[in-house]
Amino acid sequence: MTAVLSASGITKNYAIGKREIPVLRGVDLSIEPGEKVALLGTSGAGKSTLLHLLGLLDKPTSGTISYDGQPVQSLPVAERARLRHQQIGFVFQFYHLIPELTALQNVLLARMMGSSVLQYWGQRKRAKQSAIAMLEHVGLGERLHHRPTELSGGERQRVAIARALLAEPKVVLADEPTGNLDSHTAKEVVDLMFSIQQERQLAFLLVTHDEGLALRCDRIVRMKDGRIVDQNNQDAENNA
Amino acid sequence: MIRAFSPFLALRYLLTRRINILGALGVAFAVWAMLVVNGVFTGFVRDIRKNVENSAPQLLLTDLPHDSDFAVLQEALTDDDIVAIAPRLRQFAMLQPVGTDRARRLQGGSSELDFNHTKNGFAMLLGIDPLLEVEVVNMPSWLQRGASEIRRNGGEVLPATVFDEPDPDRRAEMLLPDAVEWQSRKDAGMAYERDIEQHESSLPGMLLGWRRIFHLYPMGSGDPFEIVCASFVKSGDGVAMRPYSKPVICAGWFGSGNRMFDETTALLPIETVRTMLGQDFDDPSSIELVTDVAIRPRDGLSPAELAALQARLQQKVQATLPEGSKPCSILTWQEQNSVYLRAVAQEHVMMQLVLMIVMLVSAFVIYATLHMMVVQKIKDIGILVAIGGAPRSVGSVFLITGTVVGLTGSLLGVLGGYLSSIWLNPVNDWLFANFGVEIFPRHLFDLDGVPCHLEPSWVASVAIGAVLLAILVALIPARKASRMNPVTALSFE
Repeated sequence: MTAVLSASGITKNYAIGKREIPVLRGVDLSIEPGEKVALLGTSGAGKSTLLHLLGLLDKPTSGTISYDGQPVQSLPVAERARLRHQQIGFVFQFYHLIPELTALQNVLLARMMGSSVLQYWGQRKRAKQSAIAMLEHVGLGERLHHRPTELSGGERQRVAIARALLAEPKVVLADEPTGNLDSHTAKEVVDLMFSIQQERQLAFLLVTHDEGLALRCDRIVRMKDGRIVDQNNQDAENNA
Repeated sequence: MIRAFSPFLALRYLLTRRINILGALGVAFAVWAMLVVNGVFTGFVRDIRKNVENSAPQLLLTDLPHDSDFAVLQEALTDDDIVAIAPRLRQFAMLQPVGTDRARRLQGGSSELDFNHTKNGFAMLLGIDPLLEVEVVNMPSWLQRGASEIRRNGGEVLPATVFDEPDPDRRAEMLLPDAVEWQSRKDAGMAYERDIEQHESSLPGMLLGWRRIFHLYPMGSGDPFEIVCASFVKSGDGVAMRPYSKPVICAGWFGSGNRMFDETTALLPIETVRTMLGQDFDDPSSIELVTDVAIRPRDGLSPAELAALQARLQQKVQATLPEGSKPCSILTWQEQNSVYLRAVAQEHVMMQLVLMIVMLVSAFVIYATLHMMVVQKIKDIGILVAIGGAPRSVGSVFLITGTVVGLTGSLLGVLGGYLSSIWLNPVNDWLFANFGVEIFPRHLFDLDGVPCHLEPSWVASVAIGAVLLAILVALIPARKASRMNPVTALSFE
């Protein structure tokens, strides 16, 4: 099967003054459609940097990032934005919702990204219906018009998940999505994410410190000092 | 292409962040100030120019030698583009009211003018030929205005009627009706006929600028004055001073609209002034002495044609003057008052500069509010980029915000400016009636009301300029937002 997302020989250096600090030292990774991959590692291992590079928020110093086999790391800024909108959904630890917008508006924002004013005007009713359906799907049908400050941490993360999924991406990149939640709420959120992932056969890359959460993924990738030090396939291990 | 989220989010930010209202109000205030203050100034300049134009002949021949003869100049001033000419003779003199009672009254007056501080005062006598002068300036409007200004200031007077006198000889001398002069002589203790029927007016009439006579009120029409002046005459090998005095009678008041002119000038028959300067009409060796000649060119001359006429007349007149004479001048009404008009215009320009600074301050308010918004919204910028927003579209959020702030402020300012221009006079009247305060001291410039004229082109320039300026200053924070590294933005605390 062709990898929906692959990275090959990725390096990333940050310049601090005249010094170059290597953060990623040659990372190879590929994710197949419908695969859940957990990215584990200590702080400073390079997990979030890799996630940002794979999410096209930043450019690697060297190496290739491909979506559906097409290298994308050198695309112009606007193309990368389009690709991010069409292919990638982000879920962050701190939810990253716009405080001025209601839950519904935050989710709708994802739909507005890809359309001009006139295009969106023509499809605004349909867009609103799908956003409401998505929020209902994540259990927030009663909280559509609440602002982030009026929602609990779990509810905010559900809004973030709904926003990430509304544009029907192929890949979801989640950066410690349960890191800010209590264990009960975290389990609910993860259950929700994985059920949707299963339903839609999404490729899922999950950055986490939580071994228990990682064990629920198909594959665990461990990083240390900017390198992948271990990749094991949970099914293979379980079968063994 | 603007993505749908840009205007959507910009409007959300506008509605939820009250500081943007401050930006819009700043622009509105600046636009309002630019429209109203400039409107008042434009109206002021327009009215002032109108008044000055009304107070001066279209062209004036001046800078002539001291012994210029109108009879000689008349020949040189014959031109197809000239409709009428009128001789003028200027001379400083002292005026003193005749009659003890009147003199005492003047001593107790309230004016700051020199009339009060001494029993007499200086005036610029302007000798005119009433029969010709009416052809070059709108003399009836001067008389009408003089009376109405005094009435507006509490006096109860009628316009002077000396120009309505059917007898041209009496009109030339600006004589009052016989009965009026007889009564005046009697009241002032001057010599008079026992029988009123025997009396014939002989005192030359004098028209005073309303500002001077207003301060002398109740001195008025029919009050006699003594004019005192001196001229230098040849005496043997040297020059001797020849004092001269002549009784005249106040024949009324004029108001040209030019404050300086109305404060200092007294109009007299030109023959009276000539006699004072030793050029008696009955003396066969006398000349028709003039210091200036007022000229009315034909209507409809273009500025170029007028300039050509000026040059042509200057050459023709100069040719008649004795060799070695200084160049004479033919001045338009603007050139006759160039210092005053330039000062007013300069003040207008300075005011516009000050208003530009007000506009720049309001633009800075927009910049500051948007810049602050970008700093506060760094994380939002990261979020927008993460969920697929192109940097340019993200920057557009702030650009649209600035544009809407500028547009709203501009519209409010134009509306406020328009309403203010309508309500300026009623508000000014109300303030004056209730608190004795005036927004604009219209009496200082002899204006009927607070002048306010909104030029459509100025309104459009200010409104469009304000929006463009808002867009320009919004571009800076918008550019900053679009260039922000999303990873840094997302990790911003």
